[in-house]
Amino acid sequence: MTQENKFVINQRHLEKVECLYLKGYLDAHTSPILESALETLVKDGKNNILVNFRDLDYISSAGLGVFMAFIEDVREAGGDIKLTDMQQKVFSVFDLLGFPMLFDIEKEEKTAIDKFNSNEERVSD
Amino acid sequence: MLKKTEHSDLLTQGDLSELERIREFIIVKANTFGFSNDIAYKIALAVDEACSNLIKHSFKFDSKKTISISIETERNAFTVIISDYGNPFDPNNISSPNMKEYFEHFNRGGLGVHIMKSVMDEISYIPSQNNDSSNKLILRKFIN
Repeated sequence: MTQENKFVINQRHLEKVECLYLKGYLDAHTSPILESALETLVKDGKNNILVNFRDLDYISSAGLGVFMAFIEDVREAGGDIKLTDMQQKVFSVFDLLGFPMLFDIEKEEKTAIDKFNSNEERVSD
Repeated sequence: MLKKTEHSDLLTQGDLSELERIREFIIVKANTFGFSNDIAYKIALAVDEACSNLIKHSFKFDSKKTISISIETERNAFTVIISDYGNPFDPNNISSPNMKEYFEHFNRGGLGVHIMKSVMDEISYIPSQNNDSSNKLILRKFIN
């Protein structure tokens, strides 16, 4: 199996939010693919980023590190990286290290999108 | 519950593309030993972190180097021995980060050893004594 098949990202553009759908295994081998995708979004000034983990079966610290690399810049630009739809086994890795202290982790994608939209309204008030 | 003593080995290239095969090997053996899927997954995570560190920091991505993984099960102990001929690195010399400060400073990396320590019950390390012997990282998890 190739690296590309082990980890796949599908992307969807909503009005104010860029959604990344992760599938497969996110480890030290595949995490550069996610890093590249996030780097492209941030360079393009797209700072409202939703990452949907529904089809992600595994994450190691290499995957967690990718989110750490971008969260500060994204928040400084007024955006956020919100994480949604994690399988319990994937959430347990985030939880093991206390990542819910820093990251907004939602059970459902809709909640995260609503938060992005309500934040946008507050900013424009 | 008393378990029969068993031994299994996996020899892999020191390449990040081997991580998936390493995890599958660990999960099958941990499940067979009697661990839940959740614990088997966590042990595989700890071994992944150990091997990722080896490949990056000790082997410097030289995939000609190899990693030997042995599993020994005896009574209530599931032991993973990771052997290599790279530069010695004892994870017990690394202190776990204060995660509050880690997040405040938006740090990155250095969490692999923390994960290993969080997941496993015992971690010991035997560095190579000469050019002919390997380093051995010994990760142990007990079953109730």
